[in-house]
Amino acid sequence: MTTTVSATGLTLRYGGTRALDDVSLQLTRGVTGLLGPNGAGKTTLLRVLATVLPPDRGEFTVLGHDPGTAGGRRSARRTIGYLPQSPGFHPDFTAFEFVDYVAILKELTDRGARHREVRRVLEEVGLGEVRGRRMKRLSGGMRQRVALAAALAGDPGFLVLDEPTVGLDPEQRMRFRELVARRGEGRTVLLSTHQTEDVAMLCHRVVVLAEGRVRFEGTPAELTARAAGRVWRSTERDPGARAGWRTGTGDFRNVGHPPEGADLLEPTLEDGYLLVLDASRAEVTAP
Amino acid sequence: MTWHVTEEDLRAYARGELTAPLLWSADTHLMTCADCREALTRTSDPQTLDAGWERLDAELDAPRPALFERLLLRLGVADHTARLLTATPVLRRSWVSSVALLLMMTVVMVRTADSPVLFLGLAPLMPLAGVALSYGPVLDPTYEMTVVAPLAGFRLLMIRTVAVLTAGLALNGLATLALPGYGLLALAWLLPALALTAVGLALAARLGPLAGPLLVGGAWIGTLLVAQARESGTLAPFTPAGQSAAAAVTVLAAFLLYRARDRFDARPAGGLANGPGR
Ligand SMILES: Nc1ncnc2c1ncn2[C@@H]1O[C@H](COP(=O)(O)OP(=O)(O)OP(=O)(O)O)[C@@H](O)[C@H]1O
Ligand SMILES: [Mg+2]
Repeated sequence: MTTTVSATGLTLRYGGTRALDDVSLQLTRGVTGLLGPNGAGKTTLLRVLATVLPPDRGEFTVLGHDPGTAGGRRSARRTIGYLPQSPGFHPDFTAFEFVDYVAILKELTDRGARHREVRRVLEEVGLGEVRGRRMKRLSGGMRQRVALAAALAGDPGFLVLDEPTVGLDPEQRMRFRELVARRGEGRTVLLSTHQTEDVAMLCHRVVVLAEGRVRFEGTPAELTARAAGRVWRSTERDPGARAGWRTGTGDFRNVGHPPEGADLLEPTLEDGYLLVLDASRAEVTAP
Repeated sequence: MTWHVTEEDLRAYARGELTAPLLWSADTHLMTCADCREALTRTSDPQTLDAGWERLDAELDAPRPALFERLLLRLGVADHTARLLTATPVLRRSWVSSVALLLMMTVVMVRTADSPVLFLGLAPLMPLAGVALSYGPVLDPTYEMTVVAPLAGFRLLMIRTVAVLTAGLALNGLATLALPGYGLLALAWLLPALALTAVGLALAARLGPLAGPLLVGGAWIGTLLVAQARESGTLAPFTPAGQSAAAAVTVLAAFLLYRARDRFDARPAGGLANGPGR
């Protein structure tokens, strides 16, 4: 697989906080998921890769363009579609006007072609029917989808989505996964999420970030495999487990180092993720 | 309906060659006039007709251009530029505040009548304020979403600056007409206005969208106060020497602004809403 977006040594500080610490990663075509706890640096990383913020140190390229130079940045921006974690709106714009406005800024200057594109992306996120409604009269999930439509306008080759599934109902979340899977064919999509199912169902690669560092980079199957032989069932809460919770059947599901002869369970991606985070915490506390 | 779309326009319409604003009048009219729809069917073959209907359908969603936007279009401004200038509430607010400021000034000026000093001192601040208010994350809720679009940043700033300057200068010019007694002196605000705007933007590239213009505005008021304390006649900035200085400052600042243009694109001016400060 050819690399489409590649970053080395990205570092960014906010005053004393090191939000990104020497982050290197390679993206290919298809959908890559970015997992990490609150404050891990996901938004910061996406902002850097979407060229919103320049890194303090490190380099990266987007589809062959170097955003470190003025010309390269403009070329890169022509290929980027960005959905921020909390996109803002002009409340009096209609959905159509909002996407149209963003499309103009993306240099879709031909009126007819632009309006066709705006209708197409609004249809794609399932909002064709309410395109004439004002933003202030749309529900939160609908607004999120309007913002997604704006990010999709112009068919960007590199799509950066910061927690795009927050606020979507289960049906819309399924539709979103379909949409992104479709977009992922032939294009590069990077999305952050707290939903491990998003990653399990959608992504061909996954990056785990914690405390500004990359803790895991690989396929979802590889992340799941981290928990192979490390998930077990017990009737009581196992004090030796890193994490344990009572499931619907009344039994406890434990993740960690199983005792001798434990009743092992099939691991999930979430188990692998928990263990990766656990390992990174151990590394931080150990001198 | 008292008028109908001409035969010639209908044919152009069917071919998709009719341009705005004629196109919109034709669209609106066709929606309500059965006769013209008939005529359209007669003048065109079925295939182009289908395309025509589809376009009409698309037009129905399209933002209805408001009066001001239509005016810009008639003046020959490209349709997307007109949209950028009129669609954003941020910008509309900056127009409105400019006009309000101007009216206030004129009233004050007329009240204090005797000398144009107050007007000359305040008028240059108006375009500066208009430009400062027309961009920046503080005032634009969609800032983070749009900042990475290729047309955002310096290019958008220039489009808006030219528009705000044009409108501001035109309004100032109108107010000047109310001061016929002072002759050319009444126009002495023009060069300082350009100088303040250019310096404000050049500084904004380095200090952020609020600090830059605020600093320049403060410096201008300071200069006027000092000049006033010093002499009793025409204040220094409005003498020929002062005017030449303003012209020189404008050119220099415009040059510096052009050199610094990449700063407007490289990082968010003044920081993101929940992001880092500069
Ligand atoms: N503007 C800011 N000023 C100071 N520190 C900041 C700023 N923005 C983020 N940080 C810090 O940088 C770190 C990374 O923040 P970031 O927003 O990238 O995390 P995240 O992984 O997106 O979290 P979440 O899952 O909550 O969205 C955190 O420690 C945060 O406190
Ligand atoms: Mg975040």
